[in-house]
Amino acid sequence: MKNFNYVVLSISLLFFLSCEDELNIDPAQSITTETALSSEGTILGILIGAYDEAGQSASYGGRNHLASDLLGNTNQVTWSGTFVDPREFYLKDIRVTNAFVAGLWSNSYEVINQVNLVIDNAELISVENTKSIAIGEAKFLRALSYYDLVRHFGDVPLRLTGISNYGIDLDMARTASATVYNQIATDLTDAYNTLPESNGVYADKYAALALRARVHLQLGNYEEARDDADKVLTESGHSLAPTFAGAFNNFSDGVEDIFAFQVTSQTGSNSLITFYASEANGGRGGDVSLNDEFFDLFSDANDERSTFYYEDDDNKLTSKYTYLYGNIPTLRIGEMHLIRAEANFRLNTEIGLAPLAEVNALRGRSGAAAVTATDLDLDFFFNERQRELSFEGHLIHDVKRFGKTAGSEAPNSTKLVFPIPQAEMDANSLMVQNPGYGI
Amino acid sequence: MFGAVAFAQQTITGTVTDDSGVPLSGATVLIQGTSTAVTTDFDGKFSINASIGDSLEASYVGFSSQSATVDSSIVNFLMSTDQLAEVIVTGYGSQSKRTLTDNIASVTSDDIKGIPTPNAINTLAGKVTGVRVSQTNGKIESGYSFRVRGQSSISAGTQPLIVLDGIPLITNNESSNGSPTNPLISLNAGDIESIDILKDASAASIYGSRGANGVVIITTKSGKKGKNKIDVNLSNGWSTKTNGRDWMNANEYIELFREASINAGYPGYEEVYMESISPSWETTDTNWEDIALVDGHTRDFSVASSGGNDKSTYYMSVAHNDTKGIVFGNEMKKISVRSNLETKTKDFLTLGLNVNLSRADIDRVANDNAFVTPLQAIALSPVSPVYVDGEPYADTQYPNFLLQDKYGSYNTIIRRITGRLYGTAEITSDLSFNSSFSYDLYAQSEDSFNGSLTPFQSTNGDAFASNYTTENFIYSNYLQYDKEIGNDHRISVVVGTELNKSKRRSATVIGEQFPTDDFQTISSAAEIVSGTGGFTRYSFVSYFARTTYSFADKYLLKLGLRRDGSSRFGNDVKFGTFPSVSAGWILSEEDFLSNQPVFSFLKLRASWGEAGNAEIGNFASLGLFGVVSYNQSPGLAFIQADNAKLTWETTTQTDASIQFGLFDDKISGEIGYFVKETNDLLFAEPIPASSGASSLTKNIGSVENTGVEFQLSTTNINSNNFKWTTDVNVSTLENKITDLPDGDVIGNLNILREGEPINAFYLVEYAGVDPDNGDALFYTNKGTEGETSNDWNDAERVIAGNPFPDLMAGLTNSLSYKQFDLSFSFQGEWGASVFNSAGKFQEANGDWFDNQDRSQLRRWQKPGDITDVPRAELIAGNGTEDSTRYLKSTDYIRLKNLTLGYNLPNTITDNVGISNARVYLSGFNLLTFTDYDGYDPESRSDAGGVGQVFYSAPAAKTIAIGVNLSF
Repeated sequence: MKNFNYVVLSISLLFFLSCEDELNIDPAQSITTETALSSEGTILGILIGAYDEAGQSASYGGRNHLASDLLGNTNQVTWSGTFVDPREFYLKDIRVTNAFVAGLWSNSYEVINQVNLVIDNAELISVENTKSIAIGEAKFLRALSYYDLVRHFGDVPLRLTGISNYGIDLDMARTASATVYNQIATDLTDAYNTLPESNGVYADKYAALALRARVHLQLGNYEEARDDADKVLTESGHSLAPTFAGAFNNFSDGVEDIFAFQVTSQTGSNSLITFYASEANGGRGGDVSLNDEFFDLFSDANDERSTFYYEDDDNKLTSKYTYLYGNIPTLRIGEMHLIRAEANFRLNTEIGLAPLAEVNALRGRSGAAAVTATDLDLDFFFNERQRELSFEGHLIHDVKRFGKTAGSEAPNSTKLVFPIPQAEMDANSLMVQNPGYGI
Repeated sequence: MFGAVAFAQQTITGTVTDDSGVPLSGATVLIQGTSTAVTTDFDGKFSINASIGDSLEASYVGFSSQSATVDSSIVNFLMSTDQLAEVIVTGYGSQSKRTLTDNIASVTSDDIKGIPTPNAINTLAGKVTGVRVSQTNGKIESGYSFRVRGQSSISAGTQPLIVLDGIPLITNNESSNGSPTNPLISLNAGDIESIDILKDASAASIYGSRGANGVVIITTKSGKKGKNKIDVNLSNGWSTKTNGRDWMNANEYIELFREASINAGYPGYEEVYMESISPSWETTDTNWEDIALVDGHTRDFSVASSGGNDKSTYYMSVAHNDTKGIVFGNEMKKISVRSNLETKTKDFLTLGLNVNLSRADIDRVANDNAFVTPLQAIALSPVSPVYVDGEPYADTQYPNFLLQDKYGSYNTIIRRITGRLYGTAEITSDLSFNSSFSYDLYAQSEDSFNGSLTPFQSTNGDAFASNYTTENFIYSNYLQYDKEIGNDHRISVVVGTELNKSKRRSATVIGEQFPTDDFQTISSAAEIVSGTGGFTRYSFVSYFARTTYSFADKYLLKLGLRRDGSSRFGNDVKFGTFPSVSAGWILSEEDFLSNQPVFSFLKLRASWGEAGNAEIGNFASLGLFGVVSYNQSPGLAFIQADNAKLTWETTTQTDASIQFGLFDDKISGEIGYFVKETNDLLFAEPIPASSGASSLTKNIGSVENTGVEFQLSTTNINSNNFKWTTDVNVSTLENKITDLPDGDVIGNLNILREGEPINAFYLVEYAGVDPDNGDALFYTNKGTEGETSNDWNDAERVIAGNPFPDLMAGLTNSLSYKQFDLSFSFQGEWGASVFNSAGKFQEANGDWFDNQDRSQLRRWQKPGDITDVPRAELIAGNGTEDSTRYLKSTDYIRLKNLTLGYNLPNTITDNVGISNARVYLSGFNLLTFTDYDGYDPESRSDAGGVGQVFYSAPAAKTIAIGVNLSF
């Protein structure tokens, strides 16, 4: 009996001497930061991850577009429903706690940090060409993110180095927007120089150039804007889709898409559907409905763009977003024509095509009657851009650029600038709030 | 009259039974003043040679000894439980309440039996000091909040460790619809013998790195030597909401929105709008609350059989519960089977097996923040009809949940197997070796289908299926040494080890495009749009030791130590050590307190100890990247920032109390005080989002909970026919952040700030309405007392309330008169506030066409009006911002449960072979006294936020009638 007892004891003790190995467990669905920054494959993976990040609802998956168009709206559309965050844009009365604003901010910086990590660790990529393309794409995404940040918030912290170890002082002050714009231009130029002519669904050199055209137009650098747009139009191989409808709700990139965020039934997100589409089309039932004032923008009943809507519960909803899994057009040829035409018009030049001919060509695609030279003025371009580009995230920026009003707000109103999110104000001691938001 | 025949010995027979008539086998019957004693047999019967006039004493562990003078040849003993000899389960052993030096609260099966709620945890509400239990809201399966002595963590877990018969239970929430499920829902309350709550650190530190939030030890029933018996319980209950709210009717609605449209400059718009949401707005008047909250029903049936002989005991039960909830479409059926067997296979070896199989099948509704959850129907306009031509009306302003109910489904099944095989080997008479292997399998599967006619349907139907399986293996061994040295020294030592491994496997899939609604499972989906599958694991390796020592049954000392290692922490900090000490002094055993009539028992006790909290993510210390997909190409995305130094939170608790029994224990109770300080808080600290991450898990900061706990039990009347006892408990709780190195952390509506309670409400202060123009006003709180502004952005936030109560109390009365018994418990909470996140829709002075609370009828209408409801104006956002306007105090007192029973006389039951029959009427949440004007002061949102409600269903009020039969 005694012996048996000792056996019991020793077995139990032995068991415990060996089981501390059980404490070493690695995660099965993730890898450590160290591993993630250690090989070519993982760095290229982080770059693809940055596209996914940028394409999320919070930014290019739809809310950035929606916020820009609701903030710029006067009476073209009605926002119905009680979803307060978008309604604050619509009412031009944004709270510092607005979740869409906070989401755009944090999502943009998540993208920026990931692409910074790609750039910082690009030397791990062995093939020179692959490396330069990766850096080019990273810079394109960085420029895209900073561009929307600086347009919406003004001065923003400019981070150009990735953070992988968060045990450091993370407070950072705002950088002057001119410096941010310079960085955007530099990044886009680098991207243009290193990216290939075509790059699948990822950014190619014309995506960088098209974005640079948009940036230059915004800054009033009309020659650069014109020349960049011209290059895209003449060299990229992209052209207008045969029909206006063909530019939207595409499962894969169409001929008109210079760059689009990819949505499939399994990946990506299209939250424009959420807000613009009927329940039958996968939306909330049309939070944004089109008013008579929107249709008043069109003078020609044959203009397909004026009939590009459908009715749902007595509401008119845009047909631009009806396919739940449609890609989100981000840079398309239609906009390039409008940039080149407007810049040519402002500069009184005819690089590529005379403004009148260009505008009429674009209108012609939608069956709209040609306009005459006397019709052309800046108001015409402001309105033509709305006719062509409505709900694609341009309106508030156009309002400011053309010196128009949004509702009763003047273009320089502090209400048309986003507040710095309260969470950033609370966590970052160097952050200063925008005028009009409690200061 | 019998005195004349003194000294003549004769055979005296009798039965020893407990207070419910169950025979006690193995009880000792002694002739006082002699060494003559016998033991009762299986049927509790004894036979002893004694003389008339002798005094017999019957004793049995856990019961007060009883004596009786022999006056005939039959002497029966009815034993009553000894409050202080009551055995308290301490984890890896047990101890008598009398000599316990730790603070452990105990609830027995008698305290919770028959309470008509399908959630066993609910039955604890109001029963013990320092413990707060509440169910999230009125959905049957909804999660629960269980706090022992306050919230001692900010980001890590706050719920106590739940240990069932030695098995730390899996308590994951595996719900996929955003509304948490209660992982203990399948537990059968009828199987519970006792619930012991280890509150102080000395008690909880035996669970080391998992003891900081307290430990709840649930012990299930076991068979007793003696007569085999069968207990049957049948009950039927009816439920309604505890409270409804007053919503506007159609006329009031039309009136308000007519005014709101005019004020907004769109006169007549209300008619345009109502046309769009109702074909019959001029004649319809719907009360949507009545559609969403319905009458429920609950039916319980259980059978338990137990018994045993000298070598073996058994307890077997089956319980079935069928509950229809008060939220439309919410139903549950559950079944539980248990078998607890123990047998002495050799003289030195006892083996036992506990097995529980359970299954809960629940039809569920969406979380509170979903349009299709029933209670969001209260947002719908009273002018919209519910049905048109027999079909749920589809053009309501927000989706009609009845479409979801009719054409969609969401079913959750929880399957659980919990088992433990254990053995105790007596190596010597003092030393035993205990070994056990436990296994807990928790499997939750969910299946949902949204047919083509459900709201938001655009993919010809979609289906979701998930399967989560978590397994825990616990291998536990300890040596126990008990020794009495001389008459005065008693020592008990426990030394042991435990290995706990846990593995969780998950799989989910979503499919779309169904040919018709006849096909509802994933296999019929033409397109699979999402699939996930993965594993996660954790492990604990533990060593523990405990010594208790008592001298002369007066001076008590306990020392404890546990060393825990966990896979969850960084390599350098994998192990932690948790010491504890407690001591007690039973003054009533001292000579100076003997021979006095007042104190029948008096004990001072104090404890100090440390325990840990390891309830954070399994890999929280690592910087991580995970896989994402972009256009079906794999990419990597940042998940979390690393902190290799991350380790557990340590809670140090000091506790002291006086336990007393007065006048023969007619009055007994305890007054105690505790200070519980938690350091190295595991804390997801917000960092500037401009860094690319928004939080970093660190060990920073401290929180302190202090409180006074008072408990009093009195036996008011104790006569043969009439008994009345009262239990009162009161606890205070001051929760305070004592150190927050990086300053304030501000969440959406809550703040973490030194000197304030965790997650205090931090809100702009509502200042009412400008009488001149009806604008909502807010106190600016910028230094000028009383200064107001109509611009919310212009006002500073202030600390506005505490989401948790700082005073809790319970009062239970138990009465019995002849065959009747009555018990009822009141429970109350004071000091908490709740924020109605839906206030901006429900009490928004006609801001949008959501139906409004009737309080909005007192809106400002013309200059000079003095009111607290601003001018009605469509989409003006006049006062709808987050402010104290929507913060309400939830102080309440509630008649938590009441049971009235009647035991049929034996003269009736004996004839039909029933040993005991009882019919009873029992209620839960019967009455509520509160000024709170929301649905229910206990109900909270299940869709996130601290201290918030958002279309959250009130609790169920249930009345049941039942019958207990014992054979």
